[in-house]
Amino acid sequence: MSEVTLSAKGVTKTYGTGAVAFQALRGVDFEASAGEFVMLNGPSGSGKTTLLSIMGCVLSPTSGEVRIFDELVSGKKERQLPPLRLAYIGFIFQGNNLIQSLDARDNVALPLRLRGYPVREANAEAEALLERVGLGDKLERPPAELSGGQRQRVAIARALAGRPPIILADEPTAALDAETGMTVTELLKEMAREGGHTVVVVTHDNRIFHLADRIVHIEDGHIVPAPAH
Amino acid sequence: MSLSAKRTAIKGRGGRTRLMSLLAIRMMFHDRAKLIGTLLGVVFATVLVNQQLGVFLGLLGKNTMMVDNAGADLWIVPPSTQTLQGGSPISIYTLNQARVTDGVAWAEPIVYGTAIIQRPDGGAEPVTLVGSRLSHLAGGPWNLVAGDVSALAYPDTVIFEDSQRQKLGGLNLGSVRELSGHRVIVGGFTWGLIPFGPPYAFASYETARDILHIAEDQTTFVLVRASPGADLASIQHDLEARLPNTRIYQRQDFHDSIVWYLIRAQLGISFGTSTAFAVIVGFVIVALSMFSAVVDNVREFGTLKAMGATTFDLARLLFVQALSYAFLGTTIGLFLVTRMSEGIRSPNLSLILPPEIFLGTYGLMAVLCVLASTLALARVRSVEPGMVFR
Repeated sequence: MSEVTLSAKGVTKTYGTGAVAFQALRGVDFEASAGEFVMLNGPSGSGKTTLLSIMGCVLSPTSGEVRIFDELVSGKKERQLPPLRLAYIGFIFQGNNLIQSLDARDNVALPLRLRGYPVREANAEAEALLERVGLGDKLERPPAELSGGQRQRVAIARALAGRPPIILADEPTAALDAETGMTVTELLKEMAREGGHTVVVVTHDNRIFHLADRIVHIEDGHIVPAPAH
Repeated sequence: MSLSAKRTAIKGRGGRTRLMSLLAIRMMFHDRAKLIGTLLGVVFATVLVNQQLGVFLGLLGKNTMMVDNAGADLWIVPPSTQTLQGGSPISIYTLNQARVTDGVAWAEPIVYGTAIIQRPDGGAEPVTLVGSRLSHLAGGPWNLVAGDVSALAYPDTVIFEDSQRQKLGGLNLGSVRELSGHRVIVGGFTWGLIPFGPPYAFASYETARDILHIAEDQTTFVLVRASPGADLASIQHDLEARLPNTRIYQRQDFHDSIVWYLIRAQLGISFGTSTAFAVIVGFVIVALSMFSAVVDNVREFGTLKAMGATTFDLARLLFVQALSYAFLGTTIGLFLVTRMSEGIRSPNLSLILPPEIFLGTYGLMAVLCVLASTLALARVRSVEPGMVFR
């Protein structure tokens, strides 16, 4: 059995206090193993993005434990989290969130440079990744000169740069047409499998459900059995 | 598998400053409208600060030019004198005392005051008349552009300011005019000798004394030149002991006295206020532009934080941007103000911009931009990395 890379135990998250308090997560248990491609699904407001944010160390849980491998990451101080994110996690965002002033190569090299890679080494790895996602001829194109699908492929390359063990993706196909969304997700799955990455994808897009190793359904802050499709 | 082996490789933090500098510059030049807006703030502040300081220094120079060019090491002036507008004359006895003081190479009197020249069309204009002995020409004239200083040896001869010839009644060499009721002959012209008041005119000591109605046993100032190697402070001390009813200035002290008097007076307040206004307006423009740039790119800052950049990293980014705005804006501003000063330079108005002012402007604008960036930094600090998932 593969090693558990990411786990959440009894995680709750409450926004606000008093009469306006809103409980987004109500005691969630979750695990994902190395090489696993998991999709988190559920209606809007069900808590799936909150869970992703907590597992991505960009949001603290109100209670419960989050571990990456054996390391307890919940409860750490704010200043301790950036190195954890750098060490373990690659992100893919709904709107790709590429830095508009950087070209494709510099966007992919960015997390490597943050990890202290020398410029030449970071650029070489960025170029190899862009080649791998089919954008080897668009290294110097800024995001504004790329199509939506191409931008999301750059975002995938950026998330995989440095081979972080965990990739967290938030609605990566939301802004793409069906065909492009399928292509991008297939590419993500293929590259994640090659690299042994654990991938957790938050999505509403039932057209890509068949690519998941496992689908986790969240409703009203609880993990519930997936409805039959 | 050990925990460290599971982590992605962290190869150090040494390149962070370089990376943030690259990002800072790329972000700056990506948003051209914000770049231009912010630079305009720095350029505006640079131009206005330098224009105001330049004009102020120009005016100070006009007021101190007599002290700076008179050729004296020490000035004996009426008590309580702070500027060249000295008040009551002093006794000519002062001159004799100065001449017998140890270490004095020479001492000469000058008379200084306002005279009125009658124009042929019936009008009248004031001039600042300076009368000096021809032996050392202490007190001028200098910067002659027409005529010869030796003309002052002739009775009733006066040298006027060339740039004011028309204003003073269409003067030419040899013109005859009435100066405070005295008939005088134009013997030459100087260039650029206009204090913050009526232009200078020069005559022999006796001619000027007659025109200004100063008694023979009185004078306005006594100028003293020390012998080579003599101790100025010692001579000053001796003169103060001999002449208790006067004030003795070393040249630089008199220069400073005039400068401080003007700074403390309305001139300094006026220029100081407009200079401060320029700095404040520049600060506000830069602060708002940089803040606005952060607000516009807040998602990018959130993304950087989510990826592992710290608030300190982003502070470095803003710091580099602030210094870049300061450097570029100041360079453009100084270029403009230099061209402007060349364009408006005249005997009446000149911008004096010494290198120290230029260097000081770079420093001032760097401080201004870094302080202005704190508003943007406050916004960056408040950016939560989790916002990228919303």
